[in-house]
Amino acid sequence: MKDFLANTWKHRAHVVLALPVFLVLFFIMYVPMTGLILAFKNFDVTKGIYGSPFCGLDNFKFLIASKSTFINITRNTIVYYIIFTALGTFLNVALAVAIDQCIFKKMTKVMQTLMIIPVFISYAAVQFIVYAFISKDTGLINNALGTNTSFYMNPGLWPAILTITKIWKDTGYGSVLYMSVLAGIDTELYEAAEIDGANRWKKIWHITLPSLIPMITVMLLLSVGNVMRSDTGLFYQVTRDSGVLYSTTQVIDSYVLHAIFKNSNFGFTAATSFFQSVVGLLLMLFANWLVKRIEPDNALF
Amino acid sequence: MAKEPKVDKNADLAASKTEKKTAGQYILLACLVIFTVFCFAPVLLVFVSAFTDELYITQHGFSFFPEKWSMAGMNAVLKYGKQLFTSYAVTIFVTVSGTFFGLLIMSMYAYSMSRKEFRLAKFLAVFLLIPMLFNGGQLSGYIVFTSMYKLKDSLLLLILPLCVSTMNVIILRTYIVNSIPSELMEAAKIDGAGEYRTFFQITLPLLKPSLAAVGFMMATAYWNDWQNALLYIDTNSKKPLQLLLVNIQKSIQFLLNNNNVPASARAAMGGAIPQNSATMATVIVVIGPIMVAYPFFQKYFIKGLTVGSVKG
Repeated sequence: MKDFLANTWKHRAHVVLALPVFLVLFFIMYVPMTGLILAFKNFDVTKGIYGSPFCGLDNFKFLIASKSTFINITRNTIVYYIIFTALGTFLNVALAVAIDQCIFKKMTKVMQTLMIIPVFISYAAVQFIVYAFISKDTGLINNALGTNTSFYMNPGLWPAILTITKIWKDTGYGSVLYMSVLAGIDTELYEAAEIDGANRWKKIWHITLPSLIPMITVMLLLSVGNVMRSDTGLFYQVTRDSGVLYSTTQVIDSYVLHAIFKNSNFGFTAATSFFQSVVGLLLMLFANWLVKRIEPDNALF
Repeated sequence: MAKEPKVDKNADLAASKTEKKTAGQYILLACLVIFTVFCFAPVLLVFVSAFTDELYITQHGFSFFPEKWSMAGMNAVLKYGKQLFTSYAVTIFVTVSGTFFGLLIMSMYAYSMSRKEFRLAKFLAVFLLIPMLFNGGQLSGYIVFTSMYKLKDSLLLLILPLCVSTMNVIILRTYIVNSIPSELMEAAKIDGAGEYRTFFQITLPLLKPSLAAVGFMMATAYWNDWQNALLYIDTNSKKPLQLLLVNIQKSIQFLLNNNNVPASARAAMGGAIPQNSATMATVIVVIGPIMVAYPFFQKYFIKGLTVGSVKG
């Protein structure tokens, strides 16, 4: 202990350098964690978080009572996570391999630059682009097909719309990471495989894809902790927070955001938030444990 | 870092030696072109629509090849006049101050964390990692920031929540550990430089490539942040650009909800409310600066991502 204090004193400059981030994390991330206690309290604005009276599990009873909303937003959150992660990872890898295999290097460079652009457009702006495509009277799709579909009134169409939007926005950027791994593969491996008579597909299957596995594992692992969190902008802005579409578009995050603005269902929202954070933590620990067993080198901690 | 040119050269060599322009290659190229069009066409549509005649849009819909062009949309955007410039100033202020402040304090933290002889470094690492695993969520954040800190309507809430991220600190730390020789810092110390001087005059300048990568990603996050603004900012003089977009959407939504209004009447009202082309013009104004800056930073952030992906 004395050693430790002496060491800290000796390196007091490092303590000072670390202090600003420590304070920001403490006030911005750690203090709000204590706010989760609200799930067990009857929040009263005048008394604040810590002064509000406890109400046991009442909020969770409320949650179970209004279970259709709760089940709906939880189901949407998880289903979209699975679709986005599975399809997203597949497309990111496919695009990275495609660009890596393409021999027209100058063109792929330009194409890559163009593909990445959508990731830099905020969802507040993306919604207008989506609107230009699917608006009922002026949308490109209705015009091209000669139809008169009210996309904004038809919840059944939104899983497809949101998935396409998400792929459009993130795939170009998502592939960059995998491309950097591919650029690092030793070319001697390919040459050796060629001597052994491997064709292009065999090389992709036996050299390219296996070398991507560690990165894929890390990315999946990082995302597992966020199963309960969504790209709020996608679900709140692109759908224009439209009540008609809630059955297929409302996720936990957009529900909470909506609730904050409408000041509604406070206990329910607090209980949902608590559920969201705790499940997220458990999933993250579980995923890390799993990876540690399979491939210890790729575990996060 | 020094490895990179070698890899490129090898790839080129291999390409010239073994690869031929086969039919398969052209099919692959075609697929990539199609995907590029899929990614870029919607962006192009924004630019085309912004300069399309409003009446043309209401009658014929959005189009990549409008028959009638017009500057009216852009002009209408300038009608926002003061608010647009105010919002621009707010966004630039938040982006610049947030990015620089964040980069400075994060590299300070990353530096402390990377010192092997510093025993508190382990604690710093754990302290940094926990928020990635567990957090209070939007609701607690909202209540703590507004009713506990009483920061509602303060620009601090646009800056602080985005200025530190675990991932970014890890990227910076990895760069310090892998790419800056510790002998350099030891040598500086032997020459009599104090800890602070070593950090600010040796480490920080050498950290530049990594700072450029992280900095660009941070700047984009700040520029595109609409959620914190929507949650916390009420005063017009503090509204950033993204909030302007969100509010335009609200007025359009209001119009669309009046389903009885016929298309021709809507077109007639076009001048009073921000209509299609004006909206797209606003989108251009908002996303423009990032589009312009992005090509210059592209190589940095690709490099930055690569560095960050190495687990340290």
